[in-house]
Amino acid sequence: MKKRILTGAEIIWECIIREGVDVVFGYPGGTILPTYDALNNYRDKIHHVLVRHEQGATHMADGYARASGKVGVAMATSGPGATNMVTGLATAKLDSIPIVCITGQVPRAAIGTDAFQEIDIYGTVIPVTKHSYLVMDINNLASTIKEAFAVARSGRPGPVLIDIPKDVQNDTIEFVYPDEPVRLPGNNRPLEASEKHIQDAADLINNAKKPVILAGHGIFLSGACQEIIQLAETASIPIGWTLLGSGSVPASHPLNMGMMGMHGEFAVNNAIQDADLLIACGMRFDDRVTGNVKTYSPNSKKIHIEIDPSEINKNVPVDVGIPCDLRTAMKQLLPHVSRKQNKEWIKTISGWQSESSERDIINIQTDTLYGAQVIRDIWKETNGDALIVTDVGQHQMLEAQYYAHEEPNTLLTSGGLGTMGFSLPAAIGASFYRQKKDIWVIVGDGSIQMTITELATAVQENANINIAIINNGYLGMVRQWQQLFYDARYAETPISSPDYLKIAEAYGLPGFRVDKRQEIPGVIHKVKEIKGPVLVEFVVEQHDMVYPMVPAGADLNDMVSRPKNKQFQETLKSRSPSL
Amino acid sequence: MKQTLIVFVQDNPGVLNRISSHIRRRNFNIESLVAGRTERKEITRMTVVLNEPDKTKQRTVVNSLKELIDVYDVIDATEIDSHIREYALVKVALKKDDLGAVNKIVESVHGKIIDGTGDATIFELTGYEKEVEAVIEALQKYDILEIVRSGKVAMVAGNNSKHQPELTKSEPNWTTSRILESY
Repeated sequence: MKKRILTGAEIIWECIIREGVDVVFGYPGGTILPTYDALNNYRDKIHHVLVRHEQGATHMADGYARASGKVGVAMATSGPGATNMVTGLATAKLDSIPIVCITGQVPRAAIGTDAFQEIDIYGTVIPVTKHSYLVMDINNLASTIKEAFAVARSGRPGPVLIDIPKDVQNDTIEFVYPDEPVRLPGNNRPLEASEKHIQDAADLINNAKKPVILAGHGIFLSGACQEIIQLAETASIPIGWTLLGSGSVPASHPLNMGMMGMHGEFAVNNAIQDADLLIACGMRFDDRVTGNVKTYSPNSKKIHIEIDPSEINKNVPVDVGIPCDLRTAMKQLLPHVSRKQNKEWIKTISGWQSESSERDIINIQTDTLYGAQVIRDIWKETNGDALIVTDVGQHQMLEAQYYAHEEPNTLLTSGGLGTMGFSLPAAIGASFYRQKKDIWVIVGDGSIQMTITELATAVQENANINIAIINNGYLGMVRQWQQLFYDARYAETPISSPDYLKIAEAYGLPGFRVDKRQEIPGVIHKVKEIKGPVLVEFVVEQHDMVYPMVPAGADLNDMVSRPKNKQFQETLKSRSPSL
Repeated sequence: MKQTLIVFVQDNPGVLNRISSHIRRRNFNIESLVAGRTERKEITRMTVVLNEPDKTKQRTVVNSLKELIDVYDVIDATEIDSHIREYALVKVALKKDDLGAVNKIVESVHGKIIDGTGDATIFELTGYEKEVEAVIEALQKYDILEIVRSGKVAMVAGNNSKHQPELTKSEPNWTTSRILESY
């Protein structure tokens, strides 16, 4: 066979193509130049998206990974290019998203000399990545890239960074792709649960009278949606989900209760507190879902099935902790679960549910538009079938409450880190994979201004995304906290916006503005006809709140509710027009 | 109670940084951390002593250290029969008359003089923490110039398979490609 002498730069492309990558989000610069130069030889296999800020590149890779189940790839130069990726890496770390970031580094001889655009990115990202690499020898380049992808997508997935000095990119070597499988140290996670664990779990489930399933992001990552529903249906167990577990059970399913936690449904939180058994699946008892841990679900036995053993007994002590692959465990568990009806329990929960619908903002007539109404109408006009990418804040919680997801993985959002600015770039990334679905970005006026530069990328790529800016003139969620806990002293939460229609025009995409509810369907239909990015600004009530709410650190069922509709309408009437 | 961990890691540059950063970010104070080579070329062994009393946090740090890619295994030696020992050098400015008395103190832990030539004497001490501490305490009445302590190294007693680390590499289980199947 003819020898293939390749540069390090070429090896990078050869290797990532072998990992199934066909799109890379990046930004060129001094130390990554050799790799960008080599890109010219791989144009037929790789589409490169030029972002406008490296944070955008990481969120795009992240959005692509969430939408596709593949590994997203971002690329940047050393120094500021690399440090701009830190937020995106941390976002992916907290939500267990497989992305690989490749950064250029100053030549080996210059490392440690504070050279121009030198930063120790390998060390910088240790706390925000699953793993990181610095490739000091071209002989290790191909095997390192192969290992990096394996690390990113295996076990509990996560972000990986590979730092490659410029002279390693320029070096040449006879290229042989490493055929041997990647092998990593340590106790590899078993796929299967032990028989004792399964038996213990089954006993608890079969004896429970008031069980609840807590559905987390791990359900998607392990592909266990069907098994969870099967478990719920067999033993008549209602399901509450975390923010990232949205869509794990079809919203219309009779056993679906809704979201749990700080802005979760009243009924779900009550059910959790009152339950005699919690079956936590692929979730980690984050403080936003538990409220006060000390009083969390005080009378229940707890089963926790989770791939990462360090999550078990971390925040909430459990009775049966099963560290393994969720889907495999479910398949083992199902034959041991006896069929039964929990009629009393389900009836109690429905009682709680009807109580909260009396407080629902979307059912009342108002002159001003409310964020919740916008989201409910987008849901209606897209038949609940869009891929939604949300940012962070009030609109994010409203989406989780009012957009009823019927299919798995149709909501992409930054849950763990809560990264403002995530949605626009993540949606651009997702658009490279999910072309069949309408993609809607739901974003606040604060969040959009954090990464608004990526509008240029959306236009350049003609990304098929619809951007709904829910504009309330405030950093709404922070303002809500100020109203509730800081006597309405609105320090630095009123935020001005540019004229979004002019922004749209300047960037070269169609723009609409809506401030009346009856205009929404018409605009959404118009938007649907347009290929490529579209921006719609919804001007909404400034002082609306997200209800219900569990104040940070309070007991989970100690919720602040929206006033009942009748009462609420009276307050609306009496309110001064300036509000 | 102090927690003593034996951590087996890949001998890669930066691995020490990774381990200490992982412990530091949980705001644990590292009392000592000693790393060195082992009977196997590619494996570095660390003994880490931590000052975190909370049992839940202790368990979490062990489990999460095991999740690091460079880590083969972690043995928590705190509650199993093990030998946790350290080494210290003590430099004392001694009067000739005191030499005999000091020698007696030091010999109680099999310590010895390793440098008695100049105007100061250097003693070498080895032993369990308590022993080393006791000797240092007893030496306080003399003119101690310097003390250096190695930090602790630990070895589990016996050959119980329950306390043997898993020092093998394996292929990871794939899961994320399953996201596609859930559509």
